[in-house]
Amino acid sequence: MTSAREDRLIKQMTETSRSFWIWISFLAACVLLALVAYIVQLRKGLIVTGLRDEVSWGIYISTFVFWVGVSKGGTMVSAILRITNANWRTPMTRLSEAITVLALITGAPMIIADLGRPDRIWHLLRYGRIQSPLIWDFISVMTYLTACIIYFYLPLIPDVALLAKDQRMPIWRRRLYERLSLHWMNTPAQQQLLERAIHVMAIIVIPLAVSVHTVVSWIFAMTLRPGWNSTIYGPYFVVGAIYSGAAAVIVAMWLLRRTMHLEAYLEPEHFRKIGKLLLASTLVYLYFNINEYLTVGYKLEGFERDLVESLFIGRFARFFWSVQLLGVFIPIAMLMSILLIPALKRLSIAGVGTASLLIVLGAWAKRFLIVVPTLQTPFLPAQRIPAEWTHYSPTWVEWAIVGGALAWFLLAYSLTAKLFPIISIWETREPKEKRHSESRTGPAFLRARAGVVTAMVVLMVGGSAPGENKPQRVPRTTSLALTYEVKASDERVGNQSSGVPDVESTIENPFAKRYEATAPAVSAVLVSAKLQDSEGAGLGFKPITFSAKTYFGTITLGVRPTGADGVAHLKIIDKRLGAYYVNAGFAGDEQLLASSGSVQVVASPRPKPSLPEEGMLIDPYPTFWITIPFVLFFGTMWGVFAYILLLVRKLRALGIMVAKEF
Amino acid sequence: MKFTRRGLMKLVASSSAAVVAGGTLGKTTVRTVFAGTLPPRSKAPTNQKWVMVLDLAKCDGCRDCTKACNKMHYVPPMQEWIKVYEVADNPAAGEYYMPRPCMHCDNPPCVRACPVGATFKRTDGIVMQDNDRCIGCRECIAQCPYSARSFNWGEPPHAPEELSAQYSMEQMYPHRKGTIEKCGFCPHMLRAGKLPVCASACTMGAIYFGDELEDAVTNSKGETLQLSKIVKRGAGYRLMEELGTEPRVYYLPPANRKYAAPDEKAQLVQIDLGSNA
Repeated sequence: MTSAREDRLIKQMTETSRSFWIWISFLAACVLLALVAYIVQLRKGLIVTGLRDEVSWGIYISTFVFWVGVSKGGTMVSAILRITNANWRTPMTRLSEAITVLALITGAPMIIADLGRPDRIWHLLRYGRIQSPLIWDFISVMTYLTACIIYFYLPLIPDVALLAKDQRMPIWRRRLYERLSLHWMNTPAQQQLLERAIHVMAIIVIPLAVSVHTVVSWIFAMTLRPGWNSTIYGPYFVVGAIYSGAAAVIVAMWLLRRTMHLEAYLEPEHFRKIGKLLLASTLVYLYFNINEYLTVGYKLEGFERDLVESLFIGRFARFFWSVQLLGVFIPIAMLMSILLIPALKRLSIAGVGTASLLIVLGAWAKRFLIVVPTLQTPFLPAQRIPAEWTHYSPTWVEWAIVGGALAWFLLAYSLTAKLFPIISIWETREPKEKRHSESRTGPAFLRARAGVVTAMVVLMVGGSAPGENKPQRVPRTTSLALTYEVKASDERVGNQSSGVPDVESTIENPFAKRYEATAPAVSAVLVSAKLQDSEGAGLGFKPITFSAKTYFGTITLGVRPTGADGVAHLKIIDKRLGAYYVNAGFAGDEQLLASSGSVQVVASPRPKPSLPEEGMLIDPYPTFWITIPFVLFFGTMWGVFAYILLLVRKLRALGIMVAKEF
Repeated sequence: MKFTRRGLMKLVASSSAAVVAGGTLGKTTVRTVFAGTLPPRSKAPTNQKWVMVLDLAKCDGCRDCTKACNKMHYVPPMQEWIKVYEVADNPAAGEYYMPRPCMHCDNPPCVRACPVGATFKRTDGIVMQDNDRCIGCRECIAQCPYSARSFNWGEPPHAPEELSAQYSMEQMYPHRKGTIEKCGFCPHMLRAGKLPVCASACTMGAIYFGDELEDAVTNSKGETLQLSKIVKRGAGYRLMEELGTEPRVYYLPPANRKYAAPDEKAQLVQIDLGSNA
């Protein structure tokens, strides 16, 4: 029933060598060290890392970005090649889909490692704000992970059904496979259902992958920081993810081929074909790098200048150029010569594999160069701060946790390769017949179906105060009576201070225009104070001082003389809103006693307390326009997952039905 | 499953009906959920809009503001919620001192990006920080162009008075490990009708503070000035206006200074080596 190469694959799954156990124990020890490091960090806080206020994100975040990028490998090789009917993909779909799932499971906890209060992680669910890029990340990574697990599981069903009947497997594994196989009987009806489910997932996983890498870039691109504040970050990260993901797949192919003796499956031709894909994505990545740095480096605009200088000739220069050389230029040269020079054809596997390894390492280092140098060149210079607070260098805790994440990935990957056939057995069988059925049932049917599914998922979802009399001394007593009137708005009050006639400008001032709607209106209030003696006769030509009480003090509004009728006028032109008291005071002289009076002015109403008007993004609650795109996009995705679940249940029911018939 | 024309039409009809029904339901839900009411903590106790004016012509870089702030809030070491920078924009223009509190932006990048609403805008313009809620992701530090936010990397050293107090986001203490710290315009002082401690501690009277709706700001010397007038006449500006953050802190340019600039101070020290500081 199984061919020779399949026998060898199954033998690899059941037999473990001593070196395998040494490898597993080494990785487990690394993971344990990381756990110890994390406990130290939990107890003492992030002070044990090299992170400080200036550079507050370091290798935790850059490693998170790296793993999410690596996760692209699976979707690219498997989904894109599946949709384009590239038949040569079949031996590497499983191993790349496993990379996707495990890279996400490895990468996502890096965010938790970076949190100052991991004990409050549930706040993301309790208080999550849809306006925050971090929540977008949370939503998209979770959705993507779910999709990738489904997408890993579906093509596994025929294989586990096959292995469940294989007597070479230990009994516990056969039981596990039996459960996972969902009564797969390999009937045409089941085949059609599975084919449909896989195709729907292959299509859905691509926009999801693009969304995840874009959203990860938005953590950075949604800030104002030099270097991050860039419009190409979304596609730059997507391309960077394809570049590092494809390289990770090749590295995995290279290592698995050697350790698990998969020569019969993974031929040099596979390396050459996926090598072409890698070369193409590396060239696009190079193009993005040139575009990113040339546009900034050509202008040397203020804050970005410091960043570019630190990368090109400054503190990070040696690192930056090594990464560009080893991670981009040398791999391009290697891939080009191996793929183009016939004499080098025999080096296909080692050459493409080495280039990929360089790319994976370069991709990690490049993420570091994306995160750290930008934080090290803030808008305001770091002053009066010790150098170790401004110059980031990771501590052993960080290296242990990041290294432990890598060890965990390799550990989980090694065990997955033992537990499940890392080469898809049924897909690599009888390729001709399969292609035929695929082209028939696949895309054409799918287009109609996926459209319907998408459509179905879309459904979800003032007064006056009397003057005071102060009769104290022999001089005549005086009193001040205040009145006011609010001047009509037709009065031009724009130039209240200069007194220069306000010439109608022919050029609109765009800056003034921006604030016209929000700026409080200038009000003009004419306050009149009548200085009078006890008989009520006006006292002329005396200085009256006007002032107003404010929350913290008293503002002097001006000194005005009284006219012959004893009335002093003061025009208050300001942006004060609401009711307030204007006081007038007369200091007194030899014949007259001092006096004062006040009036409550109600100029214009105070606005109701509110948040700034264009506060959609700072609103404490989700706002309509920012929620809807997420609900639609990710809601569609979850709707499709539900549909897949339905198909899987149907598949299982069919299997049970067939089993009963026998 | 088989597709017939009738079946397809039925499906299209029923799904479009479902879209309409779902849309109506969704709209109603959205209207209810997004009712536009503010949570109690976003509502300030008074109907005021706080604004600060920093007159750089008066700032002599003594850092009394920083010291007073550190003392009042028991600010953990290595943090300066109001930090005095020595700025040299270019070699010709000369140096000057620039205190930098939190700008309490009207378009605050930190509030935009906070995943849990631990930092939020209040109706009086203050950007508050709630360390009962903060998860320590430091997205706000990445967002803030003014470097106005600090993080408690380890357990901060505590004073007994600080620890005995109940946590209040207005006073910003007791401090907690793994959370964000920043200037909050001293809301508890404002409630009492007092200036923020940096403003009242400034012996030069360089820090003016007041209510924008009153169009008046007051400094430590009790000088109350019309906000629109001094900002307009003094060619006031806001830091990094081009970023569109709409800060609530205005600067008056360091014109006609009465004190020694940072570079001049250094020279004075060189000449006056005999005197002991």
